[in-house]
Amino acid sequence: MTGYLARRVVQATFVVFGVTLLVFLLEHVIPGGAARAALGQRASQAQIEQFNELNGYDLPIWHQFLDYCRDLILHFNLGYSYKKNQGVAQLIEETLPKTLVLVGISTFLAVIVAVPLGVLQVVRRNKPIDYFLTGTAFIFYAMPAFLLGQLLILYFAIDLSWFSTEAPQSNSAWGVLSQPKDLVLPVLSLAAITIAAFSRYMRSSMMEALTEDYVRTAKAKGAGQRRVLYRHALRNALIPLITLLGLSLPAIVGGALITETVFNFPGMGLLTTQAAVNNDVPLLLGTTFVAALATVVGSLMADVLYAIADPRVRYA
Amino acid sequence: MALPPSTVVNYIFPFMGLQFFSVYNISYMQQLMYRPLYWFGRGTSPALNPLISLASLPKYSKNNTVVTFTLKPYKWSNGESVTAQQVVFWMNILKVQKLGWAAYSPGGMPDDVKSVVANSPTKVTITLTGPTNPGWFTYNQLSQITPFPMAWDISATGQKAGSEACAKAPYAKVVVKTDKKNSKVTPVSPEAKSCEKVFEYLSRQSGFDPKNPKAPNNSLKTYATNPLWQIVDGPWHLTKFDSSGNVTMVPNPKYSGPVKPKIDKFVLLPFTSNAAEFNALVGGKIDVGYLPFEDVTSPAKSPLVPGKNHPRLEKDFNIDAWYGWGIYYIVPNFNSTGNGGQAGKIFKQLYFRQAFQLLINQPLYLEKLYKNYGTPTYGPVPVLPKNPFATKFAAQNPYSYNPKRAIDLLTSHGWKVEPKGVTNCIDAAKCGVPVGTKLQFSLPYAIGSAATKQMMEAEQASWQQAGIKVNLTVGSFNTVIGNAVPCTGKSCTWEMAFWGGWIYAPDFYPSGELLFQTGAGSNSGSYSDKKNDALIRDTNFGDATLAAWQNYLVTQLPVFWQPNAAAQITEIRKGLNGVVPQNPLQSINPEAWSFTK
Repeated sequence: MTGYLARRVVQATFVVFGVTLLVFLLEHVIPGGAARAALGQRASQAQIEQFNELNGYDLPIWHQFLDYCRDLILHFNLGYSYKKNQGVAQLIEETLPKTLVLVGISTFLAVIVAVPLGVLQVVRRNKPIDYFLTGTAFIFYAMPAFLLGQLLILYFAIDLSWFSTEAPQSNSAWGVLSQPKDLVLPVLSLAAITIAAFSRYMRSSMMEALTEDYVRTAKAKGAGQRRVLYRHALRNALIPLITLLGLSLPAIVGGALITETVFNFPGMGLLTTQAAVNNDVPLLLGTTFVAALATVVGSLMADVLYAIADPRVRYA
Repeated sequence: MALPPSTVVNYIFPFMGLQFFSVYNISYMQQLMYRPLYWFGRGTSPALNPLISLASLPKYSKNNTVVTFTLKPYKWSNGESVTAQQVVFWMNILKVQKLGWAAYSPGGMPDDVKSVVANSPTKVTITLTGPTNPGWFTYNQLSQITPFPMAWDISATGQKAGSEACAKAPYAKVVVKTDKKNSKVTPVSPEAKSCEKVFEYLSRQSGFDPKNPKAPNNSLKTYATNPLWQIVDGPWHLTKFDSSGNVTMVPNPKYSGPVKPKIDKFVLLPFTSNAAEFNALVGGKIDVGYLPFEDVTSPAKSPLVPGKNHPRLEKDFNIDAWYGWGIYYIVPNFNSTGNGGQAGKIFKQLYFRQAFQLLINQPLYLEKLYKNYGTPTYGPVPVLPKNPFATKFAAQNPYSYNPKRAIDLLTSHGWKVEPKGVTNCIDAAKCGVPVGTKLQFSLPYAIGSAATKQMMEAEQASWQQAGIKVNLTVGSFNTVIGNAVPCTGKSCTWEMAFWGGWIYAPDFYPSGELLFQTGAGSNSGSYSDKKNDALIRDTNFGDATLAAWQNYLVTQLPVFWQPNAAAQITEIRKGLNGVVPQNPLQSINPEAWSFTK
C-alpha cells in the first residue's frame, strides 16, 4: 500500500507541474500581454515598459517560470492580482473556504439523500415510486443550474419571501455558515442536480451488485433481504460512488460558477472565470494550480478509498 | 446602491496608476471622501461645477502661461484646513511619479509645469512652460488635482504628520532626473526622495507595493480602520470595507462643504451578474440599481424620456437613463497588413471610410435594439449628454445611412460591387490599391449585451449590401483591446476592432490628443493626419476652439462611429430624491440624496 501511495504521489506531482507549466506558457501568448491587460487601452509604451520591468515580464520566459516556481515552493506566494489589488494566495485563502462550505454541504447532502434513494428505487424497482423518482431525477438532471436557481429564487425568495434572493454575503466561511437561512436556496439548487446524478449511479450500481455471485451466495446461505441489501450489495455498490466523489473534489474546490452567479456568491468558480476574462495572469495561474491540485488529490483519494473498500485492488 | 456585475472598488489612495483607474474606485469611493480641486458634472452636463469644487474658478494670465486659483475655506475632518500647500504636496508627488499616475500624457502635467507656488494659505500660482488653452488645462489638468492632508506626509506607520519633507517642500526643491528614452523619473533632491517614500508608503497602505508588487499585503482589509484614510475633506467616511466590494460609508460630521449628507449611510453592494442584481431589486434589497438592457420591456419615448418600467419594478422604482461622456466607434487599423497587405491601404482611402460609414444605420439600431436608450455618434464629441462642446455640424450626420450612395462611391472609385459576393478592385488608379484586391475584413468585437451582438450582425448584413465582407468574431474585452494595439510592419495584421469606445474621463475636455493624435498611446488604429494634429495642438496649447477640430474629424472618419447606448438605465426607489440628474462623468453625490417621508 505504501509503495502504491508513493507511486501515485510522484505521478500527481508531475501532473501538477505539467498543468502549471502549460497554463504559464499559454498565458504568455495572450494578445497584448499582461501589461495591456492590467493597464488597459490608455497605457503608453513607457508605462507598459515600466510595468513589465517591475513585474519581471521583461525577463526570458524560463526565468519567469523559475521565479514563479521558487516563490510558490519556498513562500507559497502565487503572485499579485492587479485586477483585485490583492495577493493571489490571499484571494484563494478568502474564497476557497466559502466555496467549500457551499459546494461541500450540497455534495454531502447529495450523498446522504442519493444513496437511500438509489437503494429505494432498487427495492421498489419498476414500481410507481421507482418511475416517479426516475422521472424526477431526469427532470433535475436535465435542468440547467441557471434555470433551477432562478425558479427557486422567484418562488421561494420573491413570491413567498421565505428566503433571501442571495447566498450569504459574508467574506468568511464562518460568516457564511452563520447565515444558514441564506444558504438554503443555493445549496438546494446545487444539491438537487447532484442528487439526480448520484441517485441514478446508485440505482444502476445496486442493480448490478444484486446480480453478483456473492449476493446469490448470501441469499443461499439464508441471509435476510435487509442483510443482503445493506451488508453485501450496498458496500460493493458504493465503490463507483467513491470514484465519483473523488472526482468531484475539483468541482468542490473549483466552485459552481452558475450557482455563484445566480445567487450573488463570489466563489472560486467566479474568481477563475473573471481571471480568464480579464487576462489576470497571476490569478488564473493560481486558481488553475489549486484546481490541478484538487484534481490529483481527488483522484488519489478515490484510488486509496477504492483500495480500502475493495481488497482486490490492493492485492493487485 | 448596486455596483455593475463583477466590478469592485479596491483602491483608496486618490493617486493611482492605470491598473486601479476605474470609475468605481474614483467616483464611488475616493471622491466621496477626498474631494478633487474641481468637481466636474453639473446636472446632466459634463461642465465644471463650481458649487462643490474646493477652489474658485482658475484665472489665466500672461498669454495663458500663468494660472491662479484660490481655495475655499474647506476643512479636513481632523480640523486642519485645506490649503494651497496641500495642492503643492500633490504636485510634488506627481513630479516624482508621473508614470505611476493614470492620467499622465506626455507633454501634459507635470511636463508642462514650470513652477507651482503657494502664495498664501489659500492662493496657488502655476506657471507653465508655454501658453495653454484654458479650457483644456482646466478640464484635463487642474481637474486631476486632489489636495492631500498633512497627515499623509509620512513614510511609516506611527509617524507624526509631516514627518517627511514632501508636503512642505516647495515644488522647485523637488528635483528629479528624467530618462528621455523611457520617461523614467529618478528623484535627485532629498525632497524628491522623500516624496517617493511617501508615495510608496501610501500605495502600500492601499494594498499595492510599487517596489515589489508580489510582496504579501493585507492593506485592503484595513481601509475602514486605518486612521490614515479616516482623514477626509469630503462628505463621507468609510466604516466598512471588504475585498468583495461591500462598502459602507457614513456622513463625515465635520464636512465643511455646502451640501451635507441627509441619509444615515451609503452602502455599495457588489453583484456577480445582472440576474443577481435584478433579483435584489425585485427583492427590495437595494434603493439605487440598474435595469439590465435585456430586461427592458418598454422602449424609451426619446433618449431622455424613459419608457415604462419593468412590470416587476414599476410599483417601487422610477427609471432614468444615464448617459456617459463618451463616444463609441469601430477602429480600423491604418497600418494593417491584413487582407493580403492591403487592409491598411484601403482604410487610408477616405471614400472607403465614407462608404463604410454610410452603411451603418445608427438610428435604426438604437430604435430596434437599444429601445431608444441611446444616441448616435457622429464625431469625436458626444451629442448627448447635452454639453457646450458639440457643434451643430457634428450633430447632423454627414454620413447618414444610404446604401446607394455607398455603392456609388465604391463604383466611382474603381470597385466592382458584388452585393452577393465580395467587391473587388478593377481600376487600381481609382481604387488606390492593386486590381483584384477584395473588400473583406475581419472584425473582432468585445462580448457585451445581446443588443451588441445583434447590432454587429445587422451591420455585417448592411456592409454586405455593398459587397464588403466582414467576418465577425467575439472575444473578451481584454482580448480585443490586447490585439488592437498601435503597430507597424508585417506582424501588424489586425484589421478592425470594436470594444466600445472612449470615455472622456479623467480627461474631461473632449479634445483628441490621447485618441487621434499621430503616435498617441490610445490611437490604436494609428490614424495620422497633419491637419488633425495641428488642430489638436492648437486646441490644447493655443487659442483655437474645439469646433474646427471636431468638424474636421466628423468628415474625416478616423474611426467608424457607432451608436452610443445609455451607460445605464438606473432604477431609483420611489421616494428617494436627489439621484437625478445623473452626472455624465459617472460621479455620484449621495450627500444630495434624501428620502421623502
